Amino acid sequence: MPRLEPGTGKTKWYRTDGAVAVYSALISILIGMAVGAIIVVIVGLLKSNISPTGIWEGVRLVFLGVFSTGREGSQLSFGFNAVNLGNMLFRAVPLIMTGLSVAVAFKTGLFNIGAAGQYLMGTMGTLSVGLWLGWAGVPTFVAWLCAFLVGVILGGLWGAIPGLFKAFLNINEVITCIMTNWIAANLVTWWFDAHEMFKNSAEGGKVGYVIPLKNVGVVTPKMFMDVLFKGSQANGGFWIAILIAVAMWIMMTKTTFGYELRACGSNRHAAKYAGINDKKNIILSMAIAGCLAAAGASLYYLSGNTEFYWSTYQKLPAEGFNGIPVALLAANHPIGVIFSGIFMSMLNISGIQLKYLTAYNEYISDIIIAVIVYLSAFSMLFKTVLSKKIRKGTGGNVNAEPAPAPAAATPEVQNAQEEKEIIQNTKDFEEDILEDYKQLFDETAEKVQAESEEGGQK
Amino acid sequence: MSEYVIEMNHIRKEFPGIVANDDITLQLKKGEIHALLGENGAGKSTLMSVLFGLYQPEAGEIKKDGKVVKIDDPNDATALGIGMVHQHFKLIEVFTVLDNIILGAETTGPMGFLKKKEAREKVIALSEKYGLKVDVDAKVEDITVGMQQRVEILKMLYRDNDILIFDEPTAVLTPQEIDELMEIMRGFAKEGKSILFITHKLNEIMAVSDRVTVLRKGKYVGTVNTKDTNKQELSNMMVGRPVQLEIHKKPATPGDVVLKVENLTVPSKIHKNNAVNNVSFDVHAGEILCIAGIDGNGQTELVYGITGLEKATGGKITLLGQDISNASIRKRAMAGMSHIPEDRHKHGLVLGYTLEQNLVLQKYREPQFQSHGFIKFDEVRKYANKLIEEFDVRSGQGPITVARSMSGGNQQKAIIAREMDRDEPLLVAVQPTRGLDVGAIEYIHSKIVEERDLGHAVLLVSLELEEVMGLSDRILVMYEGEIVGEVDPKKTTPEELGLYMSGAKRQGKEAE
Repeated sequence: MPRLEPGTGKTKWYRTDGAVAVYSALISILIGMAVGAIIVVIVGLLKSNISPTGIWEGVRLVFLGVFSTGREGSQLSFGFNAVNLGNMLFRAVPLIMTGLSVAVAFKTGLFNIGAAGQYLMGTMGTLSVGLWLGWAGVPTFVAWLCAFLVGVILGGLWGAIPGLFKAFLNINEVITCIMTNWIAANLVTWWFDAHEMFKNSAEGGKVGYVIPLKNVGVVTPKMFMDVLFKGSQANGGFWIAILIAVAMWIMMTKTTFGYELRACGSNRHAAKYAGINDKKNIILSMAIAGCLAAAGASLYYLSGNTEFYWSTYQKLPAEGFNGIPVALLAANHPIGVIFSGIFMSMLNISGIQLKYLTAYNEYISDIIIAVIVYLSAFSMLFKTVLSKKIRKGTGGNVNAEPAPAPAAATPEVQNAQEEKEIIQNTKDFEEDILEDYKQLFDETAEKVQAESEEGGQK
Repeated sequence: MSEYVIEMNHIRKEFPGIVANDDITLQLKKGEIHALLGENGAGKSTLMSVLFGLYQPEAGEIKKDGKVVKIDDPNDATALGIGMVHQHFKLIEVFTVLDNIILGAETTGPMGFLKKKEAREKVIALSEKYGLKVDVDAKVEDITVGMQQRVEILKMLYRDNDILIFDEPTAVLTPQEIDELMEIMRGFAKEGKSILFITHKLNEIMAVSDRVTVLRKGKYVGTVNTKDTNKQELSNMMVGRPVQLEIHKKPATPGDVVLKVENLTVPSKIHKNNAVNNVSFDVHAGEILCIAGIDGNGQTELVYGITGLEKATGGKITLLGQDISNASIRKRAMAGMSHIPEDRHKHGLVLGYTLEQNLVLQKYREPQFQSHGFIKFDEVRKYANKLIEEFDVRSGQGPITVARSMSGGNQQKAIIAREMDRDEPLLVAVQPTRGLDVGAIEYIHSKIVEERDLGHAVLLVSLELEEVMGLSDRILVMYEGEIVGEVDPKKTTPEELGLYMSGAKRQGKEAE
C-alpha cells in the first residue's frame, strides 16, 4: 500500500504499485538468471570436456547471449547483433500473445492453461486458409487478413469452450483447458494428416511438415523490421503484437467492459450483486484469451518461413505454456507482457548461442525459464514485502517533510488522523493479507500441479 | 499470593507501522467477571492473542498469581489454565460432542487406545454440575448454536481451566440463551473461576460484569467498577466522545406499498427443505420494516430471493407495481431497489478495486460515467469525492485507496454512500451495522432513519435485538424460513421477540 506524498496528493512513481511489480519481477529474473549461471558452472565442473574458460563463456552467454556476435579467434565477441536481436523480437511475438491471453483471463479470475490448444487451433486456421487462398490466387493482403482472422476466430471459439463449461456448469477451467488442449492437438494432427495437399513434400527429407506460407506468398510485411534488423526473421508481426497489447491495456483499464471483467475476476459475487452478468463475462474473457493465443500462432506462421510440424498429438507447443510465466512476470499487465515476452525470447536466443558457441546445450535456458516460473509465483510475495518496506519508508518522510496543508487540516492533524486510521485498519488488513496468502498459495499449488501434469504428458 | 490471578502489565505490541497495544494493563481478580470493552481495532483481540501466546509483546510482562510467566504458544496458555471460547467456534462438525470436547486432551490407555468411558463420565459430571445441557453423542452439525457454545465451554472445563475468556459470546444467541449464559458465567465466578468477557454490548456488561477495562485505539483508557458506572459513561470512554445511544426518530408515516412479496419460496443450499417457505409481506413507503430472527432462519435467502442473487422457486415479487419475480439483478436494481448486502466483503465491495471504483459499482454504466464504453475518469473522481465528503468516508488516500485497506466501518460507509445516493424507493439493508463500532453504528442508524423520512421504504434485516427494537417501525420475526409473528416494536419486549425467534411462539395466519 503506497502512501501519499504529503501535500501533493500523488504517489511518487517509484513507489506506485506498478513500480513495485516491476521490482519484484526483476528480482525473480535476477534470481532465475543467477540460478542459471550456477547451473552452468556446476555442469561445467562436472563435464570433463568443459574447461574453466568454457564455464566463464557459458556464464557470459547466459546473461548476454543476445549480444553475442560469435567468436573472434578463440575469444567470444559481443556487440550489436542485428540477427540475434531481430530473431529475439520475432520469437517474442507468440510469447507476447499467449502471455496476453493468460493475463487477460487472469484479470477475470480465470486461469487459462489452454493457450496451447488455442494456439494450435489458430495455427490450423491460419495455415489452411492462407494456403487455400494463396493457391486460389486471392490478392495477398486479403488472403493474409482472412488467414489471420480465421485463425484468431478459431482460437476464440476454442477458448470459449472452457468458458462455457465454467459459466454454466461451474467446471474448473483448468480441467477443461487441459482437455481441450489435447483435443486440439489431436484434431490438428488429424486435419493435416487427412489433407495431403497441405503436406510439404517438395523438400526432401522433411516429413510431417506443412507447406510454409512463403510458398504462396501470404506473408506479413516487414514494416521496416528488415531495415532495423537486417538478416533476421523479424517482421511487422511484432508491431501488430504491440498494438494488440496496447489495445488490451486500454480495454482492461479504460472501458466499462474491462471494469466489468476485472470486477468479475476480483470478486465474482460483488460483480453479480452489481448486476454484472458474470456468466457472459467469463465466456467472453475466455474467448478473448483464445483469440489472443491464436493471434500469436497466426502471426508466427504468417511470417512465411516458419514451418509447422503437424504431429502435435505427441507434444503441445511450448509457446502455450510459456505464456503463463510471461503473464506472471508482467503481473498480468498487458504492457508489461511485451517486455516479459521479449525477455523470455531473449533467453531462448541465449540458449541457442550456448549451443552453437560452447559445449553446453540450449536446455540451460529452459532451466532458467523454469526457475523464473517458480519465482514469478513468489513475485507476489516479493511485492507484498517490498510494499511494506516502501510504506515504512514513506511513513518516515511524512513526518520529516510536513507539506503545505490542504484545506483546513494541519499536517499534525492529518498525520494523527492517518495514524488513527491505520490502527483501525490493521486488524482487517492483516486478516485480508493472510487470506490473500492462503488463496495465493492454494492457487499456486493448483497451478504447479496442473503444469507438472502437463509436463508429464509432454 | 497476589490479589490477581492474571496481570498483564504495560503490554506493548507493534505491527509494522502501527502500535496495536500501547502500554495496556489488565488485571484479573480471582472469581470476578471482568469485561474488556472496546471498538473494533481497539486492540482487544491483539491483547487476548498476547495472553494466549499467539503474539509476543514487545514490552510488558504477564503475571500469573503474582509470578512472571512467559507464554510462548497456546499450549503454555493451556498449561496455565487459560481457556478461551472463540467468537467463531472451533468445533469439528462431523465429530460428536464428546469427541470435540476431548480432542487434544484425550486420555489414552495402553497402546494409545482412547479411554472414552472415563472422558464421558467426566463430561457428563461437568455438564450436570454447571447446568450445561448437552447431548454428548450428538454430532456438532446437528445441534443448535447455543449448544455448540456450551460444548466450547465444556472444552475449557474439561481441561480444568480456571481463567475463562469469552470472545463476543452472545452474538449468536437468543435473549433467553443470553440470560442462561449470564447465569452460567455467574456460577463460574462463584466457583472461583475468573472470567474475561470481551464484548461491545453495554447491556451485558452492566448485567453480569464486576469490573470493566476499556481500550480505545490501542491505548488503555481505564478500569472501572461496573456498579460505579453507567452505559453512557462506558460508551463515552470507548468512543472518546459523547455518543447518542438511543435512536431518535419521529413516528413513521407509512404510505403506499412499495414492495409486495407474495408466497415467496427460496430453496436452501444446505438442506433439502426450503430456506424461505411461502413468505408474504408488504413494505410501505416511509416505514422501516425489520425482519428479525436468529441467524440462519432464512433471512439471508429471503433477501437473495428479493434482490435476485438467488432464484426463487415460487411466489411473486412486485416492486412499485412492476412484477420483478423473474427479472435479472440489474433490472431489479433499476426498477427501484438499492441493497446494502449482508456480507460487505463478499457482495458489497470489490476489495481489489479502489474506493472510487467501488463507489460507481452500481452506476458505472450510466451516461454520467461513460461514453461509448469508455469510462469518464474525471466524472468518477468528482462523484467519489462528493460521496466521500457527504458520507465522511475516511481512508488513507481518498478516492484511490484500495478498498481492502480501509477499516470495516469506512468500507460499510462507502457501501451505504453508494446505495443511498442512488435514491431508490426501496432500500434493502441487511445487518448494516454488523461488526461496527458504536460511533459508526450511530451514524448508520441515523442515515437509515433519514432514508425513511425521505419517504423511501426500508427493509431491514438484523440479528441485533437492540437494533431491531430501536430502529424499526414494524417487526416480522422469521423462524425456520417462515414468518412466525408480526409485532409492534413499541408494544413488544425482547422476551416476547425471543419466544418468536426461538420458535416457542407463533401467530396464526394473521402474519401473512
